[in-house]
Amino acid sequence: MCGIIGYVGGEDGPDAIDVLLNGLSQLEYRGYDSAGVGLANASLSVHKAEGELSKLRSVLPTESLRGGHTGIGHTRWSTHGPPSNANAHPHTDEDDRVAVVHNGIVENYQALRDELVDAGVSFESETDTEVIPHLIADSLEAGDDPECAFRRAIDRIEGSYAIAAVVDGVDDLFAARNESPLVVGVGDDGHYLASDVPAFIDHTDRVVYVDDGEFVRLSATDYRITDADGTVLEKPVETVDWDAEDTGKSGYDHYMLKEIHEQPTALRQCLRGRVDELAGEITLTELSELDHDGPIQFVACGTSYHAALHAATVCRERGLHANAYVASEYAADRIPVGPETLVIGVTQSGETADTLRALREANRAGARTIGVTNTVGSSATRVCDDVLYIRAGPEIGVAATKTFASQQIALTLLAGQLNGGLSYDAIEALRSVPDQVQTVLDTSRAKTVAEELVGSDAFLFIGRGLAYPVALEGALKFKEITYEHAEGFAAGELKHGPLALVTDETPVFAVVTGDGETARKTISNIKEVEARNAPVVVVTDGCSEAERYADYVLEIPETDDIGAAVVANVQLQLVSYWVANRMGRSIDKPRNLAKSVTVD
Amino acid sequence: MPVRSAIVLAAGEGKRLRPLTRHRPKPMLPAGTKPILEHVFDELIDAGIEEVTVVVGYGRSAVQSHFGSSYRNVPIEYVVQENQLGSGHALAVAAATVDERTLVVNGDQLVDRQIVGDVITAHEDAPDAVATIGVINHDELSEYGGVIVDADDTVSEIVENPTDDRVYRLNAGVYALESDAIETMTSVEPTAGEFSLTDGLAALVAGSGTVRAAASDGMWIDATYPWDLLEVAEALFETGTVESEIASSARVHETATIVEPAIVAPDCVINAGAVVGPNVCLGQNVTVGANATVGRSVVDADSRLGANATALDCVTGRGVRIGPASTIVGGPGDVRVEASVHRDERLGALIADRTTDEGGVTYAPGTIVGAAATIRAGTTVRGSIDSETEVR
Repeated sequence: MCGIIGYVGGEDGPDAIDVLLNGLSQLEYRGYDSAGVGLANASLSVHKAEGELSKLRSVLPTESLRGGHTGIGHTRWSTHGPPSNANAHPHTDEDDRVAVVHNGIVENYQALRDELVDAGVSFESETDTEVIPHLIADSLEAGDDPECAFRRAIDRIEGSYAIAAVVDGVDDLFAARNESPLVVGVGDDGHYLASDVPAFIDHTDRVVYVDDGEFVRLSATDYRITDADGTVLEKPVETVDWDAEDTGKSGYDHYMLKEIHEQPTALRQCLRGRVDELAGEITLTELSELDHDGPIQFVACGTSYHAALHAATVCRERGLHANAYVASEYAADRIPVGPETLVIGVTQSGETADTLRALREANRAGARTIGVTNTVGSSATRVCDDVLYIRAGPEIGVAATKTFASQQIALTLLAGQLNGGLSYDAIEALRSVPDQVQTVLDTSRAKTVAEELVGSDAFLFIGRGLAYPVALEGALKFKEITYEHAEGFAAGELKHGPLALVTDETPVFAVVTGDGETARKTISNIKEVEARNAPVVVVTDGCSEAERYADYVLEIPETDDIGAAVVANVQLQLVSYWVANRMGRSIDKPRNLAKSVTVD
Repeated sequence: MPVRSAIVLAAGEGKRLRPLTRHRPKPMLPAGTKPILEHVFDELIDAGIEEVTVVVGYGRSAVQSHFGSSYRNVPIEYVVQENQLGSGHALAVAAATVDERTLVVNGDQLVDRQIVGDVITAHEDAPDAVATIGVINHDELSEYGGVIVDADDTVSEIVENPTDDRVYRLNAGVYALESDAIETMTSVEPTAGEFSLTDGLAALVAGSGTVRAAASDGMWIDATYPWDLLEVAEALFETGTVESEIASSARVHETATIVEPAIVAPDCVINAGAVVGPNVCLGQNVTVGANATVGRSVVDADSRLGANATALDCVTGRGVRIGPASTIVGGPGDVRVEASVHRDERLGALIADRTTDEGGVTYAPGTIVGAAATIRAGTTVRGSIDSETEVR
């Protein structure tokens, strides 16, 4: 999983090196183990460096690269081979005639590599990608023209890919897509392609989404998209509504903090026009008739999986038969799925390979599928029968924050709709959530708590009912950006094993809201850890006596259990942020992670 | 070279606007339904400004999260003034980002594009001017900056809070400055630990360069006290700066009545039989209960009025809950702020962010309630009530 970009411009267009570096900086969320560019000027030149884009910038002979108008670029998240200069893209053939960038996985690369090695080709990297330039060079050697050589190489590889290639002495650029995102930008003075729109949004907002199995040829004046047989396809040019400036940090030190503070706005956008307190109705205009009474399966990964757990619980509270599954385990678990099943895939990027795979399987089994995503035009929107947008706006920080809150709310609306609507009280509570999140942002003591607890041995998070997914998400966020050991548990599970971890150096964060049986039981679990001298932090609305057993209290406004799950999570986001900030972590780009995981 | 960029000063709390400024600075208080600062940005952009630098400090996330990295396709750069040491210091903090002539504008007062345009034009037409100050005629100068303007439109003196009877124009807080003027202004010694912009201007006037005044009859409005937000809203309606509007995402029951002028912002809900207006501004996601009455009020975002409640001459912060059948009877009344009393202000009640009344509460005219207070059902409140208190 990586980000790719390509550009072919006319003489009056910007220099390729500027377009590529600028675009890569917008794609760094997809990976930042290494970065590289390949430019077809007088001759093919390739430059790459391990580490973040700034490293590449520092080693580039930028001035000598000016004047070129064709190029490709790549930012990498390692799958095959560790981050290193050799494994960075672009990859080339032995004679440096062809340079290739690739996002995805070549599944049959070992067989191809063995074959090429037997034929005497020597490899420079450990990547799966490097077979591609060698295959293209082979065909060129055999006398094929560049486009034909590119197609022949793509024909031989299996797996997922968005690939772009430049060939020495050729102004055009060649690309292909299968199960990895690829979008073409149509500009006035050139053409662009990238894994994601922000890479070229500074230059054009007119885009063409490339579908699986399609090929692209870009020139300065034209673009051509063809199918596997070479038939030219007429595809719609869409205008994207994406303000490039939305992706600035607007005065915050980190994107993550900015995005945490954007949650009230994101939630308003998510709710706008969808809840009607006068009529007591929910309207989800994107979805066709939602008359479903079979089992409901949510599939997702990472943070989205926690939102899926939230959704499944909300459904079950309303008597619906619903479960949430980790998408990568969905196939392995042999979950029964058929035409009676509704499968709902939750993926922020809409490109999560594991989730897309589960959705494709559900499609094959005849199930109806709904994609819940933040990204217009993403693969999930095309794989699924229907799509529900969470409308959170662009999220750049690798650790998901506002998109999780928007997923919780959008999925609550979907669950309500599946159950024939929500009560007036529930709609009133939902409409109050944006301000309640703002209240937490205005008043939170999370920074103080973080400063007290930084340096502890481990951090445990517990919750019950709708607070259980919050505990899991709180722990995931914490470990993602602090690199400290953090675990989330169902509160009742603590005594069945994890209690052995508890010492006076392991703070326990407990989410307790309301004063019902769920709260009372969680308080019993808090007493269990308090008795072992663990520092206790409760996130609570003050309705129960939980504060009595707490060393630190993070207050949230009083609301219903759904609103509380959204609002309580914001306190935990802030704790994670301030601990990571105190520890000097790379908050927006945590080590080894990337935002959009487009590999299995 | 035309004036293309602006520095907007929005770092100060505006202490006299308490308790509404608990979590946000004065520039983010509502003028109608939009923050004062958003009006300022609109006027700057309409006057042709292409780049905005905002100095933020107190409650800065309120500014940053509201506007993000651009507003109406004009990029916004944020500069943080960590300690609010005065408006001159704020300018010094921002000056590092500016290397050409620029406009400097107060972010906490309403100005219109005419004043902004008059200052830009006057400055561009006067090649000898190192600075041009926007001035207007105004009756009440004792709270503001006075400018003595000579016959040839040059500024001869600047006096803060003038009390003598010379002829002053009011400093509208809109300046066009050459970059070396900014340097002179920001190198002034602080008085009593505060770097004031006026001291910098005075130094400029005393110096060798020409400081010109751009006289304008454009609109200038300042909210000195929180209840002034009611008059600000009325003035915006009267001047046509804002127009009556019901947002398309708002839901208004068919039996509810909206009396213009009134603004109903996005996501609002107005229940059956409610009467809203005239001179009412409902911020986003406000709910008005069945048969409730709201007149001459500014109700900020996410607030809820219960069924049968009455709110006249009322200013609320965000997320305020006025319970069912509560009554804010309207002004005039005496308003008590700390040691001083403001007699006969037309204020029903001022209720700060996230205060809740449980219903059946009666507000004596001129009542001020702090933030996050709780007023139990059936109580009568008057005078000034502190934040986070419970009244029973």
